Amino acid sequence: MTGTPLAEPRLDGPAVTETTEYGVALPDVAEVGGRFISRGQLAAQAMYWLAWLAFSRRAILSSGVQREILALGVGAVRLVVSASFLVGLIATFQIAYQLASFSAESMSGTAIGWFTARELAPLVVALLVVARSAAAIAGELASMNANGEIDALRVMGLDPVKYLVTPKVAALLVVLPFLTVLANAGIVAGGWVGNVIFLGFNTSYFLEQFRNAYELRDLFVGLAKSLLFGFVLGVIAADEGLSVHRRFAEIGQAATRSVVYSLIGVLGADTIVNVVFYFIPTFA
Amino acid sequence: MPDALAVEGLTGPAGGPIVFDVSLTVPNGASHLVLGPIHSGKSMVMRHIVGLEVAESGTIEVDGERFDARGEPEVVTRRMRTRIGVVFEGSALISRIGIVENVELPLLEHTDASPEEARSAARELLVEVGMNADEDVVPERLPRGARRRVALARALALRPAVLLLDEPTLGLDAHTAAELDDTIVRIQESRGFGVLIFSHEVRHAFGRVQEISVMEEGRIVAQGTRDALDASRHPVVERLLHRRGRR
Repeated sequence: MTGTPLAEPRLDGPAVTETTEYGVALPDVAEVGGRFISRGQLAAQAMYWLAWLAFSRRAILSSGVQREILALGVGAVRLVVSASFLVGLIATFQIAYQLASFSAESMSGTAIGWFTARELAPLVVALLVVARSAAAIAGELASMNANGEIDALRVMGLDPVKYLVTPKVAALLVVLPFLTVLANAGIVAGGWVGNVIFLGFNTSYFLEQFRNAYELRDLFVGLAKSLLFGFVLGVIAADEGLSVHRRFAEIGQAATRSVVYSLIGVLGADTIVNVVFYFIPTFA
Repeated sequence: MPDALAVEGLTGPAGGPIVFDVSLTVPNGASHLVLGPIHSGKSMVMRHIVGLEVAESGTIEVDGERFDARGEPEVVTRRMRTRIGVVFEGSALISRIGIVENVELPLLEHTDASPEEARSAARELLVEVGMNADEDVVPERLPRGARRRVALARALALRPAVLLLDEPTLGLDAHTAAELDDTIVRIQESRGFGVLIFSHEVRHAFGRVQEISVMEEGRIVAQGTRDALDASRHPVVERLLHRRGRR
């Protein structure tokens, strides 16, 4: 007695975007739609569990958040400080070069004050965290999926979003504003070095120019943006990791996609915020 | 007294079945082995039993409560899962947290235990399966056999009616595998749950299982006690059991 021939092996999970030698191939419209829906669902679940976490005394989730803060935040401090210092230096030279034709190089301290808190610091931090951690988040979740760890959680009646995604997103919401404050300091320090040491302005003049342009309100707007960026990159990276279904070969592809789509997500969110602030100035 | 587990007419997954008309029972305190070559559909049967796959047809009865294998509301599926303990192939422990945390996770989620009570219960479970519970090391620092024991402790945390073991001794040396078998039998005798083993390793058929289902290409081709299967002339049974069984 022999059994009925087997159906073709079923492919688990959603269609996979092909990763080319040069990066990620463009997905088709249906796939983009499906991806938006799955990310929207994940974002809604993450927000629910973040609210739950804020009021919960369950130590096991809190300890997960602490672990993620150490991994995602503390480890990024040196990178953020050094990179933001260089960004401050680069911005100073670029601004001074552009203003030279108007004999207005002395305004470079003012320009640093204009852009740092609201735009440069949160964006630089988000891009650095994407580069450093998005692939790690996606890779870790993808590897857990391939190992059956996520199935094991489901079988125990444990929600993977609650236990795996929420601690990472919560940690990013804590870490990104903290790193943004550091980046503010780093960029201003780079601007000071550029203005004082290379352009020859004195420190008190630089600080006066900077103080005239830098407003505390800008710092709060930048911190609010960093929260948005942290949420966006956390959800996108986690979604890419969770979309891998029991296939080890997809782990690397998921990590690559997470970096690409997190970058696009952060830049897209920043664009929307800037457009809103431009056309509805009361929000700014 | 109801069976610990009864699967009736299971065909699935929906849309592209891989397993067809699978029926089996696991009485309380008894062990049932699902034996078959790799890719014969054993793991797919297990995934259906725990609700990780949606079936085209069939029912799953756990400890007297019947569930539709075509899908139940999330809250019903969660209730069913608390009555089933699973040790996955490769253990599937959560790699980022320690072994004690792994075992206490279901206790914290599904019981009213305080964190201290859950931790204490998790340590007791680890000791029961023969582990040193003093060090909360991450799973990757343990040998394969020890990881399997931690997964067993986690599966037993909610006092399940039935324990599913997917390739429980795969990759273990003969001595470690025999020790793990003895541990499972000892705990089963003291707690009285049913055990359903999915394996391609014929050695389990010569252990303390009361019933064997032989699978091939998604179907059960022979089912019964060891003695009953000895009389079977099915080529898969011949290949798997008779040839190995000769002494």
